[in-house]
Amino acid sequence: MIIAENLTRRFGDRLAVENLSVEIAEGEVFGFLGPNGAGKTTTVRMLAGLLAPTAGRAVVAGVDVCAEPQRVRSLVGILTEHPGLYEKLSAWHNLKFYADLHDLPNAEAQIEKYLNLLGLWERRFEPVGTFSKGMKQKLAIARALLHEPKVLFLDEPTSGLDPESAKTVRDFIAQLASEKRTIFLCTHNLYEAEQLCTRIGLIKQRLIKVGSPQQLKRELYGRQIVVDLKEPITLSEDLRLPFVRDVQADGRRLLVQLDDPEAQNPLLIKRLVELGAQIQFVREHDRSLEEVYLDLIAEEKA
Amino acid sequence: MTLKRINTVIVKEWREAFKGGKTFWIGTVALPLVLLGVSFFPFLYAGDLRGISTEETKELFEKVSMLFLTPLLFFLMFPMVIPHSIAIYAIMSEKEQKSLEPLLATPLRTDELFLAKTLASVLPALAITWIAFGLFLAVMQFLLPSTVLELAWQQFGSIWLMTLLLFAPLAATFMTLASMAIATRVSDLRTAQLLSSFAMLPILMSAFFLIFQNLLDKPALLGGLCAALLVLDIALLGLNVKLFRREEILTRWR
Ligand SMILES: Nc1ncnc2c1ncn2[C@@H]1O[C@H](COP(=O)(O)OP(=O)(O)OP(=O)(O)O)[C@@H](O)[C@H]1O
Ligand SMILES: [Mg+2]
Repeated sequence: MIIAENLTRRFGDRLAVENLSVEIAEGEVFGFLGPNGAGKTTTVRMLAGLLAPTAGRAVVAGVDVCAEPQRVRSLVGILTEHPGLYEKLSAWHNLKFYADLHDLPNAEAQIEKYLNLLGLWERRFEPVGTFSKGMKQKLAIARALLHEPKVLFLDEPTSGLDPESAKTVRDFIAQLASEKRTIFLCTHNLYEAEQLCTRIGLIKQRLIKVGSPQQLKRELYGRQIVVDLKEPITLSEDLRLPFVRDVQADGRRLLVQLDDPEAQNPLLIKRLVELGAQIQFVREHDRSLEEVYLDLIAEEKA
Repeated sequence: MTLKRINTVIVKEWREAFKGGKTFWIGTVALPLVLLGVSFFPFLYAGDLRGISTEETKELFEKVSMLFLTPLLFFLMFPMVIPHSIAIYAIMSEKEQKSLEPLLATPLRTDELFLAKTLASVLPALAITWIAFGLFLAVMQFLLPSTVLELAWQQFGSIWLMTLLLFAPLAATFMTLASMAIATRVSDLRTAQLLSSFAMLPILMSAFFLIFQNLLDKPALLGGLCAALLVLDIALLGLNVKLFRREEILTRWR
């Protein structure tokens, strides 16, 4: 659904995005993470047919972004960094304006559908200036969806929302994903990325890493097993089975690095029992995406 | 380009302007109405003139003919003052509300956007000027004997028509394009208004000069002013076409 090849964008001397290549399949929720100024918004603007790339090419929803930007714009939906609504106009007139620009034949039905879905129908005739931040954000999401785009770009959809509104928006995104839409999600919220995304791309001018949250964690840390014991044991050479990559003892807790815990755990546990260890719990150490993110960015800086 | 999208933007522009509060109403409706009302005062002092003889009428007209120049002053002003407030608002409010990016993310083309914003400002300026002139004629009809009006039309008809049909569109376009160009480059509303007033000044001064020098019965002079406006309009059109490029709007309008 989205193919980018060596996408590059300069602003004067400043290189905002450099040689970005990525392929995103239909129905994927692709999380785009990176520090402030990393080039996320610039990438979205290029992929949505708003800004021309300085170099490289991209095909979105089957259309070349450089050759036919207008067609790309009619096929994709975008939630921009700022909601950018007309504050003096009502919610309804805001949406009607965009529906007309997209020349929708069923404009009013679409407006009603999305205002209802996002819980704004009751307040449709009130000026947007009187809306709360969360309501504006929801209205901007409705605006991005009116023409039923197959590809959706969401630039920080939950930034600045209270936890409850943020959850509503996240649930809504999950629902959109289940409708087979392709979603490109820029976010600083790593919990959100982990919850929603099938794959994650980490960008800092260049694309640093791409993979599912699981893959990124494993690639960075391998897989680690936590064994909780009743009594501490001393680490001996006996525990150094050939497949064990690393072992650390931390009081009554053992941290064991393995390549394939599914196959190797039974052997490890057997050996521990032979050594007289009294095992209480065995589980995989789950790293948060936040740790992965911070480590990868630190690595990039070094 | 599609007419439908241009029309959609124009309607949005007007809907927003109508809700735009004091600035809009004062600039586009209140001010012209007050000025128009003021221009009637001198004629009110003429008293009841119906029923005077033709000879007397001619004599009278000699004396009052200058009075007809005052309203002309206002018909020269309207097409400049009205776009001044609409055009600046049309750009500044998009910038303030950060609505340009979502707007440009639609299939809307930038030339459509430019045309829509221009028309949204020029059309009401012309409409209000022309309606005001219609009102002016109607009230004159009521206040003055038809013979006086006939004489007035003989003497000023060509200037009136030139003002309404040539000067008004050219001046409204000039003010619209100048105000828009300024508004794209300036981040503060007051600065934009001030700068665009400076743009209006030389044109208005020239027009007033022509009137006060009693030169307006020589249409060629007004024609010259219109020709100058045409050249300015073309230059400003070129400038605006550059300013209204997508890239430019997204990265350099502040
Ligand atoms: N219009 C512009 N003119 C000049 N430089 C720009 C422009 N837009 C973006 N940049 C630069 O490009 C780089 C990437 O900016 P971008 O907005 O894409 O970052 P981002 O990842 O979206 O950041 P954030 O997380 O803060 O939203 C930054 O260095 C920024 O200063
Ligand atoms: Mg951004």
